[in-house]
Amino acid sequence: MLARIREHLTASAPFDRVHHENQKKDEAGQSFQVIEHPTSYSLIDLFRQALESVNGSCTIVADEAEAASSLKQVIELNQLHRIAISDSPIVGRLMQQVEGTAEVLSNAEPEALFNCDGGITGAQWAIAETGTLVLETKSERHRLVSLVPAMHIAILAGARIFGTMPEALAAVSTAGELSRTVTFITGPSRTSDIELTLAIGVHGPARLHVIVIDDVKQTV
Amino acid sequence: MDLHTQTTETFDENARRALIDPQLRSALRKLTVTFGERRAQAIASVDDWEGLRERARSIKDETLAHLDKYLADFADKAERAGAQIHWADDGQDVCRLIIRLLQERNAKQVVKSKSMATEEIHLNAALEAAGITPVETDLGEWIIQLAHETPSHIVVPAIHKSKKQIADLFVEKLGIEPTDDVDKLTSAARRILRQRFAEADAGISGVNFGVAETGSILILENEGNIRLTTGLPKIHIALMGIEKVIPRFADLDVFLKLLPRSGTGQRLTAYQSIITGTKKSRGDEGPEEVHIILMDNGRSRMLGHPVTRQSLACIRCGACLNACPVYQQIGGHAYGSVYPGPIGAVITPQLIGIKKAAQLPYASSLCGACREVCPVKIDIPELLLHLRAQIAEGTAITTEAPQRKALESFAFRMYAFAWSRPWLYELGGRVLRVLQRPAVREGRIGKVGKLMSKVLPPLGAWTAWRDARPLAPQSFREMWRADNPPRG
Repeated sequence: MLARIREHLTASAPFDRVHHENQKKDEAGQSFQVIEHPTSYSLIDLFRQALESVNGSCTIVADEAEAASSLKQVIELNQLHRIAISDSPIVGRLMQQVEGTAEVLSNAEPEALFNCDGGITGAQWAIAETGTLVLETKSERHRLVSLVPAMHIAILAGARIFGTMPEALAAVSTAGELSRTVTFITGPSRTSDIELTLAIGVHGPARLHVIVIDDVKQTV
Repeated sequence: MDLHTQTTETFDENARRALIDPQLRSALRKLTVTFGERRAQAIASVDDWEGLRERARSIKDETLAHLDKYLADFADKAERAGAQIHWADDGQDVCRLIIRLLQERNAKQVVKSKSMATEEIHLNAALEAAGITPVETDLGEWIIQLAHETPSHIVVPAIHKSKKQIADLFVEKLGIEPTDDVDKLTSAARRILRQRFAEADAGISGVNFGVAETGSILILENEGNIRLTTGLPKIHIALMGIEKVIPRFADLDVFLKLLPRSGTGQRLTAYQSIITGTKKSRGDEGPEEVHIILMDNGRSRMLGHPVTRQSLACIRCGACLNACPVYQQIGGHAYGSVYPGPIGAVITPQLIGIKKAAQLPYASSLCGACREVCPVKIDIPELLLHLRAQIAEGTAITTEAPQRKALESFAFRMYAFAWSRPWLYELGGRVLRVLQRPAVREGRIGKVGKLMSKVLPPLGAWTAWRDARPLAPQSFREMWRADNPPRG
């Protein structure tokens, strides 16, 4: 196939010359501006606003102790009974502090996941501009826990929030080996396949809550 | 309407039927208005949309000019990461390969996420013939699979169906309680498809972008079915057209800004999965085998000329469909191809042969709306003209072409003769002004249309649906002469 591709590209060469002469040449690789954020907002606030605009919710806490109590509240408020957790260390630590009636499954098999109503994971990075969580398989087994249960709760460190996509892409691709799977999550699962009417929670979770631990008081 | 009789060759008839379907027309109005508005809002959130389009196009041009190199890089990197790469010349090759992979692993049930490439090669029919059950899991694709129909839009495939029709379909096929609630219909789909996911032996997906630098594939979605399809079953097979490769990982940023905004008017879709090879260790999540099939199926041919090559820059966002005044009126099925709208009118003839789709390049008023909205700046009107030229030059001959050609060239010779002689041009005007008098009614020429279709049938196609404006009582030249008497 590569030979055929080369053959067609070679055949195109004379046409290309004419085409190029007729067309004024574009400045290749022209630079474009990155969106300037209002400087009065912190990245955490921007993240929360963007997340809320895509039907997610967010609590911002100061430390792990607060995160644990917030997590307990979220679990109770949403009446979660069976919760699957990822193998992320922070999730494990927090869940030890959360005492409740919910059954907690770590390392759940897919069959068991289908019967869970909550899934808790960490998030390695986030993007403020779009309210996006970035999860890497090399850090935690997140793929099904964050997807199959009806509610996904994610724990995120505030210092891990980037402003924009290019920074997140650089972070996942330059820090050592690229994960087998990198998942970008922006709000709960959605569809508008029926008469363009928005329905939340089709194959993935219907609810997404992020607990941000504001470990650095950074502003843009 | 029986969709299976609608082919590229019956476009004219398909379009006529679509035009008298009020439900389709109202669905199309809603779709094209809503998506048009959402897109406009979404692109306003980018500072330099034009610059972004330029960037995207120059990345695509760079890739296509060295496609052999980037494909080889991609294959090499993906293999090193543990994926298995397969090369397929055409659709039959792909179907045979997938069936072999599935049969060798005794896979009987497969879940599929939305992939236009698999629609292009009619993979489902081939799987069924081989005794394998494919289940579409994208809500829209599943609806049309249940209804035994084909997609009418590349982003929202079931847009031609009303909520009522979908509810009736679910009642009939799935035995749910009658409802007109979209949330109830959606949760019925969730419940039933979860069962299919749990049973599935393999998952088949498409690919939005393949990164040469890392061997990664990226797939975008909103529902979560792609994450399940690529994450749950033991085997993942991804079908990727050879034009989907991009050079660098960082290039993803440009396309992640352009594609959701152009497609659904979102700043970002709910999920992107970037998959690089297969499990690194036993404890890792995900399928044990990942197969990536690189499919040509007529694409490499398009590399052979700069005008046709730009067809391969398409990222399948569907923006040109929504913007096209022809698509807005007739919808997707009339095109008789899995790729409808302006991009379909240029891709389909190149994929299946111009003889089989000779009407499609004419399904456009060349207004340029498609070129305006295209996130990768494909000059679709230029492509349409290029294909029309091929048809007119007889590279492709339709059944009616010879007669039309003779008549057309006669008409154009007469036109050239008269228009290059001022005295004849003016005389013609005067004569026509006298001749038109009996035909003018309320400032329009009406009856001539019907008469014309009897006297000169080819011209009747034009006049039968249009009232001509009569010539003005005085021509511009006459007015000019009256105001500017010759000096001396």
